[in-house]
Amino acid sequence: MNNNQHSRIMSGNEAIARGALEAGIGFCASYPGTPSTEIATSLFKVADEYDIHVEWSTNEKVAMEAAAAASWTGIPALCSMKSLGLNVASDFLLNLNLSGSGTGGLVIVVCDDPRGHSSSNEQDSRFYAKAAKIPMFEPSTYQEAKDVTIKAFTLSQKHQVPVLIRSTTRLSHSRGLVQIGKVSTRKKKANDLQERLYNVPTPHLRHRDLLEKMEGIAQEFESSPVEHSTNTKECELLIVTSGISSLYSQEAIQILGADRIGHTNIVTTYPLPKRRIIGLIQDVERILFVEENDPFLEDEIRSLYADLGKTPHFYGKRTGHIPSYGEMNTDIVVNAIARLMKLDHPLKKQNRSSDLLIERPLTFCAGCTHRNFYWAVRTVKKRLGGKLVVAGDIGCYSLGVFYDEAMDTMHAMGSAIGVASGLGQLERFGFDSKVIAVAGDSTFFHACLPGLINARHKNADLTFAILDNATTAMTGFQTHPGSKEQDKNMKRVQIEKLVKAIEPDFFAIGDASDIISTTDLLHSTVQKKGLKVLLFESVCRLEEAKRIPHQVGTMPVRIDKSLCKGEKCKMCARDFGCPALSWDTEDNYPVVLEHICIQCGACIAVCPHNAIVEGD
Amino acid sequence: MRDPFSILVTGVGGQGNLVCGRIIAEATVSQGLRPVVGDTFGASRRGGRVMTHIRIGEHDWGPLIPRGEVDVILGFEPVETLRAAVRYASEKTTAIMSKMSIPPSNVTSGDLSYPDIDSITEELEFICGKVHVLDTEPVLEEIGSTRVLNSFMLGALSTIEDSPLDTKNLEKALSTILDSERDMAAFHQGAKAMK
Repeated sequence: MNNNQHSRIMSGNEAIARGALEAGIGFCASYPGTPSTEIATSLFKVADEYDIHVEWSTNEKVAMEAAAAASWTGIPALCSMKSLGLNVASDFLLNLNLSGSGTGGLVIVVCDDPRGHSSSNEQDSRFYAKAAKIPMFEPSTYQEAKDVTIKAFTLSQKHQVPVLIRSTTRLSHSRGLVQIGKVSTRKKKANDLQERLYNVPTPHLRHRDLLEKMEGIAQEFESSPVEHSTNTKECELLIVTSGISSLYSQEAIQILGADRIGHTNIVTTYPLPKRRIIGLIQDVERILFVEENDPFLEDEIRSLYADLGKTPHFYGKRTGHIPSYGEMNTDIVVNAIARLMKLDHPLKKQNRSSDLLIERPLTFCAGCTHRNFYWAVRTVKKRLGGKLVVAGDIGCYSLGVFYDEAMDTMHAMGSAIGVASGLGQLERFGFDSKVIAVAGDSTFFHACLPGLINARHKNADLTFAILDNATTAMTGFQTHPGSKEQDKNMKRVQIEKLVKAIEPDFFAIGDASDIISTTDLLHSTVQKKGLKVLLFESVCRLEEAKRIPHQVGTMPVRIDKSLCKGEKCKMCARDFGCPALSWDTEDNYPVVLEHICIQCGACIAVCPHNAIVEGD
Repeated sequence: MRDPFSILVTGVGGQGNLVCGRIIAEATVSQGLRPVVGDTFGASRRGGRVMTHIRIGEHDWGPLIPRGEVDVILGFEPVETLRAAVRYASEKTTAIMSKMSIPPSNVTSGDLSYPDIDSITEELEFICGKVHVLDTEPVLEEIGSTRVLNSFMLGALSTIEDSPLDTKNLEKALSTILDSERDMAAFHQGAKAMK
């Protein structure tokens, strides 16, 4: 039976954080991003207890640089981020791999998001391990998430290379039992920097040295395997997996009750322990690859066979037996195996649907000031005859893409101002729409400064609206340099002062709680020439409710039916879309849902007939 | 006991189904089992739907329940209960549904109407082996808070036969994690509602 006294239920993310503690971590730097956030959050909770420096850095590149610095001085360091964050940090990573990560040990955790549940793409970050030529672990269970983190630190310390741990949404955000070990009590003391922490003038020789290190690491992976295999001898079909796909595949085999199917799960997916893998699978005639997201393992193993005479039949994403996009699940594996083995399977084949299933779209919270801002954008766009484009960015305000399609573009962190600085210089080619770039406060610090400086320098004609709710709202209210409340020893950096230092042609502070003034300010500003910056004081109602429990607004509202035009208008419930304003289908009038309304009074300005009035 | 025993808790952000998953998991750990709990949500706080997949067994099962394999659906919201059933249920499934609806924004806007609860129940009965529809609103009003819906539903779940869940362990986990008399009262009301 399980030794449950020393076990805890942990998410994959919590298990990784626990592994870092047991490995004696002294430094953690991260930028919040779903599904990776809880790794650093877990470490924040025990930072004082175990004397660990934990920080939310301004972005992932800064986080990785800071973590590398700690590792260089001998302090074990962890740097966690979501998939897209590694794109930001990759510039540094592809230098650090050559110069080495020092004696402390540097473990980088990247959490990919297949299907893009909370992301704007579904990239496979494993290619960064291959691009940077650094070792990578892919844990497949909660226990393994903890165990490989400890191994990753040992490996990084020994070879002085950064080690990548790759998780995906379902491992990071699901929970299972993990055996707890002791937290390391090894003393953490910073040493002097070693020499030559740079690659010039001979980066090619550093590259050579890295390749040598990787040879040694590959040998270690050959001799101390962490993969697990079942039934690989004399099986008719071998399933080769990595990550959480391992659990789906085990379950699929169980559901099908087929004993002629083997399974090998590979944890060290870069560099591959080639000889071991060939030894495991050389007698197998058919191999099915199951992994998230891209055919990474599939292509690596296929390429091993280029040197061997006999090649098995390979199945997977390259052959269409497994879908090449979206998230993995047990059903996909069952179907793929059943197709290959010509088996009937008990999983329900029916693809049911129901006409009763209405969608549940995401929406801004009741009283969210972002809704007020987009309402203002919509009004200004109408006033300009549609000649207004909005370049969007990443955060809660990204929901603007669903809000009357108020947002025209949305890509990476900081892309709004960069895209706008291009659009704002196209007048000579006949581009005649006014340009707005939108970004939040945390995004501003993360990635907007180079774009904003470019726009200033090139005299781009645009309006940059910063929606400042003073918190990283989307990922759970992490503090950032602009947050009003700062921990001791930290200094607040004010967006207003930074922007003014860049000397925009026009700068104003707006109040996003007030729709009328927001609309007027936006309208007058977009018509001015040059670089305009508007800093909108905004409120995250969730953060507010957390900070000030039982806070009640000052402006309760009601519907004055004598003024309301009912069915003929519907502007408040249908167009404004606050969850607290509902349409009463029996009465054919709007109704204020008291239990949802936060009494901000914003909707008063929305009604063209003055039928939303203050009062209980 | 079926291994794995699969429970799907479904509802809307803010209804407490994530806590519900935690309580079930803690309760089963004390019985020497290995729960796996997978939370699926996007921007759950912003009106989105939330599903918690709970797998209980002797070893770790996948964090997503395969199609047709769910043993119990614990539905905190009618449309979300049906959505879960359409995707995951079969004749072996027991559905327990709270009648209290949370209309999505396309309903509050007046564009769509919320489906009739009886029609939802009919479709559930077609898909699932057993369906229990619980009139939660009056009971919760009596207790004085709709925030204890999750404890009420847990109480209802505790009465399901052939499940690895043990009422005493559920109560113990509930009081460890939530520590509120109202929640315990709701738990007992939930169990009573199933009789």
